[in-house]
Amino acid sequence: MTGKPGAATGGLYLHVLVLAIVIVCELIGIQRLSIGLGTVIFLPILYAFALGILLNPAIFKASAKFLSKDAVKLSGAMITVAIMPFIAKFGTTVGPQISKIIEAGPALVLQELGNLGTILVAFPVAVFLLKMGREAVGATYSIDREPNLALIADKYGLNSPEGAGAMGVYATGTLIGTFVFAIMPPLVHGLGIFDVRALAMSCGVGSGSMLAACTGGLVAVVPDQKDIILALAAASNILTYATGLYVGMFVALPLTEWLYNKARPSDRKTA
Amino acid sequence: MANQTNTTANLADDLPLNAEDERKIDVVKHSGLLLIACAIGLIANWVGTGTSPLVALPGMAVLYVACIIGLGFARFVPFYLPSVAWVSLIAILITIPGVPGAAWVSEQVEHLNFLALATPALAYGGLALTASEFAIARRSGWKIVIVAICVMIGTYMGSVVVADLFLRLGQ
Repeated sequence: MTGKPGAATGGLYLHVLVLAIVIVCELIGIQRLSIGLGTVIFLPILYAFALGILLNPAIFKASAKFLSKDAVKLSGAMITVAIMPFIAKFGTTVGPQISKIIEAGPALVLQELGNLGTILVAFPVAVFLLKMGREAVGATYSIDREPNLALIADKYGLNSPEGAGAMGVYATGTLIGTFVFAIMPPLVHGLGIFDVRALAMSCGVGSGSMLAACTGGLVAVVPDQKDIILALAAASNILTYATGLYVGMFVALPLTEWLYNKARPSDRKTA
Repeated sequence: MANQTNTTANLADDLPLNAEDERKIDVVKHSGLLLIACAIGLIANWVGTGTSPLVALPGMAVLYVACIIGLGFARFVPFYLPSVAWVSLIAILITIPGVPGAAWVSEQVEHLNFLALATPALAYGGLALTASEFAIARRSGWKIVIVAICVMIGTYMGSVVVADLFLRLGQ
């Protein structure tokens, strides 16, 4: 090898590789696997992410010949760019359904507080079952996407125990979040307990890929409700963009701190 | 111990914490990258749904313009909202019944499958993961994996229960 590929060529290779991945994944299409209590849905976005990881230069050494460090960096920038047309398309589903959205307004707004359910479920598991220390505070106070991670970085620093917990959930969520959010909603729907509108509006957790996976899975099992599913999920996701950081800052994080101090009085933070 | 803390800080260096800073983005450069993303999106839509890129082109052009305006707003409006929030608001506004052209916009974007448009972003996402992100996930160990799954289930189910309750009350 004489020299690494230039920035422009590296960028070209990156886009061509993405195009190839996309074509393969779309050709495979949505796959369904019926199990006892419902249907497991496999979406093209899952294959795309998995193929991306397999061909990632940090995993597959041969890729490093084509994809320089700069190309990987460009790929990171391209995530936020490439998700934009998807977010825009999602927004266009809201307008035509606006009266139904307003009708569901109170539920839509209040379910944002339902995101605190992470503390209810994950905090006891982390603290009592897994005996984790202060990592548990950063790990369980929110779904730990970028804005939540920034809040932890700001308050504790990322090389604190809280920071390590938040980063761990962030990295794990990045790796398996799409998968979990594609599998879970169709199974919950299979229970037959919840209104599909409730399942749809809970998809907006502030992450584009989780939103795509969640709505994709729901639409695959309830195709005749596609329009309202997309519209409610889009509306809820926008609400999360607007409120998520503040709920985290003023409600979720203080609450998790308080719970931790109650659970482990001897480990009270002195600083 | 000091050594390990140091490594954690280094690992954190290339996490996307600065992604929020959209006040300095280069709208011109982004419009070029966005063009590439839209082109790949059209092909994803073509392969996934069989809709010819020519048929879907007007809808994609509308989305492209909405994205550019959203980026511009995030860059130049004096208070801060992330560009994705602006893009969403613009997209909602131009499809509300009664707004001039709303019916045409809705009809055009109907040729685009929402899920196909997310596929390119996930492919970039898989390729963009850095060695440090893999390292953090590996270092955090199995406990964090369990906690992360509980976090996702808790966030989703918490919202489902509250939403379902208030939908019932509203009936």
